[in-house]
Amino acid sequence: MKWAWLAVVALLLVLPAFLSSYVLSVFILIFFYAFLGQTWNLVGGYAGQLSLGHAAFLGIGAYTAAILARDAGITPWAGLFVGAALAATLGAVIGYLGFRFGLRGFYFALLTVAFAEIARIVVANLETTGGALGFYITFTGDPREFQFPDNRPHYYIALALMLLATGIMAWIERCRFGVYLAAIREDEGAGEALGVNSFKYKMLAIVVSAFLTGMGGTFYAFYYLSLQPNTVFGIPLSVDIVIRPIVGGAGTLLGPILGSFLLTPLAELSRAYFATGRWTGVHLIAYGALLIGVVLFLPHGLYPYLRRLVAWRPKD
Amino acid sequence: MDPTLVGQALLNGLLFGGVYSLMAVGLSLIFGVTRVVNFAHGDMMVWGMYLALVLAERAGLDPYLGFVVCAAVLFLLGAFVQRTLVQRIVEAPHAMQILLMLGVALVLENVALVLFGPDPQRVPSPLTMATLWLGPLFVDVARLVTFGVAVLLTISLYVFLFRTMLGKMIRAAADNPFGARVIGTDVHRVYVVAFGIGAACVGAAGALVSAFLPFQPASGLSASVTSFNIVIIGGMGSLTGAFFGGLLVAVAESLGAVFLAPSLKEIVSFSLLILILLFRPAGLFGRRATT
Amino acid sequence: MTTSRVSRRAFLRTAAMAGASVAGFPVPLRAQAKLIKLGAIHPVTGPLAEVGQLQRLGAQIAVDTINAAGGITSMGGATLSLLPGDTETKADVARTVAERLINDGAVMITGAFHSGHTMAIVPVAQQRRVPFIVDISAADVITANVAKSVKEGKQKTQYVYRIFPTTTTFGRLAVKYMTEIFRETKASPKRVVVMFTNDAFGKPQSESFVKAVKAANPGFEIVEVIPYPEDAKDLSTEVSRVKALKPDVLSPITRPATAILLFQELARQRVDLMGVFSPGAPGLYEPRQLEILKENLEYVLSSTVWQNVKSPQTQKVDAEHVKRSGKHLDANATYTYDAIRVMADVLERARSTDPDALVDAIRKTNFTGGIQVLSGPIRFNETGDNEHAATAVIQILKNKPLVVWPRDVAQARAIFPRPKV
Repeated sequence: MKWAWLAVVALLLVLPAFLSSYVLSVFILIFFYAFLGQTWNLVGGYAGQLSLGHAAFLGIGAYTAAILARDAGITPWAGLFVGAALAATLGAVIGYLGFRFGLRGFYFALLTVAFAEIARIVVANLETTGGALGFYITFTGDPREFQFPDNRPHYYIALALMLLATGIMAWIERCRFGVYLAAIREDEGAGEALGVNSFKYKMLAIVVSAFLTGMGGTFYAFYYLSLQPNTVFGIPLSVDIVIRPIVGGAGTLLGPILGSFLLTPLAELSRAYFATGRWTGVHLIAYGALLIGVVLFLPHGLYPYLRRLVAWRPKD
Repeated sequence: MDPTLVGQALLNGLLFGGVYSLMAVGLSLIFGVTRVVNFAHGDMMVWGMYLALVLAERAGLDPYLGFVVCAAVLFLLGAFVQRTLVQRIVEAPHAMQILLMLGVALVLENVALVLFGPDPQRVPSPLTMATLWLGPLFVDVARLVTFGVAVLLTISLYVFLFRTMLGKMIRAAADNPFGARVIGTDVHRVYVVAFGIGAACVGAAGALVSAFLPFQPASGLSASVTSFNIVIIGGMGSLTGAFFGGLLVAVAESLGAVFLAPSLKEIVSFSLLILILLFRPAGLFGRRATT
Repeated sequence: MTTSRVSRRAFLRTAAMAGASVAGFPVPLRAQAKLIKLGAIHPVTGPLAEVGQLQRLGAQIAVDTINAAGGITSMGGATLSLLPGDTETKADVARTVAERLINDGAVMITGAFHSGHTMAIVPVAQQRRVPFIVDISAADVITANVAKSVKEGKQKTQYVYRIFPTTTTFGRLAVKYMTEIFRETKASPKRVVVMFTNDAFGKPQSESFVKAVKAANPGFEIVEVIPYPEDAKDLSTEVSRVKALKPDVLSPITRPATAILLFQELARQRVDLMGVFSPGAPGLYEPRQLEILKENLEYVLSSTVWQNVKSPQTQKVDAEHVKRSGKHLDANATYTYDAIRVMADVLERARSTDPDALVDAIRKTNFTGGIQVLSGPIRFNETGDNEHAATAVIQILKNKPLVVWPRDVAQARAIFPRPKV
């Protein structure tokens, strides 16, 4: 089985030679959102704590790297880690407040939303971040500034991020941390009774998740070169982050990847074919209907369903 | 700080709170009974507004009368959503329920976009410019009437839930679904009615504000977020909580606009939300949360 | 009503070409007549949909008009084909859409209204060497950043140009026109209060206005600047503050939805003003706004982008606009229409779709056929901006927006201060 995965990765590595810049840009989105979904997966899927404010971590990472580059001349390659560290700090704060005070389920989700919204409003009103106008990065195409003359390096970076996050999740799954998380997710009370320090491990999950998402923020900033507080901290982005792993299968290793490979091209295709003419908006209706369909028929996500399907095949 | 300004802000906040309350009451009912977080709540409200617009333009019906029709239609929509969609995923993980309602929200928003176009709308009503002056303070008659109707609707709902058979069944099913089934209540039907009523509330709320609040298909999201805020602050599943929570949040935002910068006024409600989540998650009026 | 619904043959053809281009193969051109594709990227869905849909309409009208007149004659009567894209009012979608349209063969693109989205398209235009003639977006940095990059040697060629006025131009002209109109109507307002929607347009617009007032030192001063949230549901507090300041003139920078709230509130609270004079913002003159606000919008002045109502060509475009959408022409479709016309002019002179030939032709542009208000022919300066981009002052008179200044494009006389009710 392992060889099949290596073959897939090898294929992904050589694809840029054959694909147009547009298709590459779609792949970049697939990888990037799979990466974000995977980082969310740690908190939302494995630890079972539904976060709907993950965009805040992305936003902090993005703005930090962008501001450091403009005002302190620090290359985004280094700003990447500063941004991630700041995001992780916010993660720690949210985690501490949420977990110390015993917030679960929807209540925890709303806490994350509240922090993301506050962050959004603050950033939209600060001069340093450009306020409501947003933050714009000059296009230079210079690799030292985390920019490139064309898409391909972005493709590889996005792919690397996706593989990195997946690798980390695979490793966590296997080690004790992963086992504890599963215990916390399934039945926190029982886990506690058996001596699992759920607070410590939930904190670890959110901090690591926030750190990684923050790294993604730098990628976002220097790929789009345009940051808007409403977009980068907004609920729609948080929803976009969350949708792919949920559809693909939250708490599974391949869930976010499957989800992204399914949803991202679908969004793109429906946009390309329905968004012209009078029927503007139809593509989003189709997208919404698709989400409803997935929830009704695949309530645990795509990956568990496929696994069961495969399990039905007679073994030789 | 000009006391007139503060007084006006207080008054305006209070009046607007009536609407917030009605929105929150609907959401609270839905969550309290079906345990589903209605992420399409704001979009249902927007549909209430569009229906009011259609009624006003096609049938010449003032929104302050037409809200009844809007409530009825939204009742059907809510019941439909519960019956055909939500019911099927009662056992599904929380995340899936949220995703479902998000899908519904997307569909509602974009059907509105296709049908009505993207321009901001407002429903004409003779009450819109009517103003009462109380000394240096002015009262926006439209908002006053909205406040009055919202309070009336909330009281009616209260009466319904505590005095009628169906209402009591709904409350029983909310408190103890298993027990309710044991005594023969058709819990599914109860859920359908509850969701319908919740949607009717927010549809009526939409119609009632449509005369003075410009709306577009994209207005749904912020209305949903506001509703969640209020419901948590007031107390999930508590009608009184939703009612007073609505007033409180509206006044807090209004005062926030006066004392802080207007752009920052939402920070007030979110900060309040965080404080409540941490120190009193059942909300100001809620019962001890049973997860 | 004409729809741009894709015909079945066109759909299949596009699908086949899309299939070929997905694999990255060069898309073969049609044998009969040369087809030149122009991309138009606008927010057709989402919160800015009202504007985006009109912009797309403007583009389509321009393409149809040019084709009906024989297409690009210097290239054998080549036909223009419009490739429309929807940004969904999101920057990341804008970027992907730009990539897709370029992949589908667009040789030049226009768009995208919201400065943030336009900025997201800039790197794509630079990377893929596709000239990007911005139709509507005011943020100075859009072109300035690229020009700087080229000057510092980090980029070889500038592919981003703009026909719309920059925020600096908006501010400068607003102050100039205000001073001139006050002089003309013999009024002398002293206290001005600025209100702005705290969003990507409102903020820089208000800053530019404030700066321009400081620089020009006219007879009036800005006593307070009041921001309000872009999704405000209630402006009564803000308007109360305005009332307490007792200004002579209110200068609001709005969005359509907030404009509705604002003017209702001003009327309700009976705020006494000599007049309302906006340095430029949507929401103060559109048909639907006039329908909703009626007499509350009467006498409101805006220094804003507008079409040149005196030109017969504008009237023709307006007629077509009404035919296709039921709405009259406004600034949104105007600028996109002009952007496409400029592109056609560039193609005529370049006689090729090669990027360098196009850029060369763009730099030499001296286009006099624009239907927007201009202070001269469309010419691009070293930053890439239209040096003759201009605004005009319109006033709502008898529920209609009429141009009242500058004199050479005016349809009516400005009335200031507004008559007491």
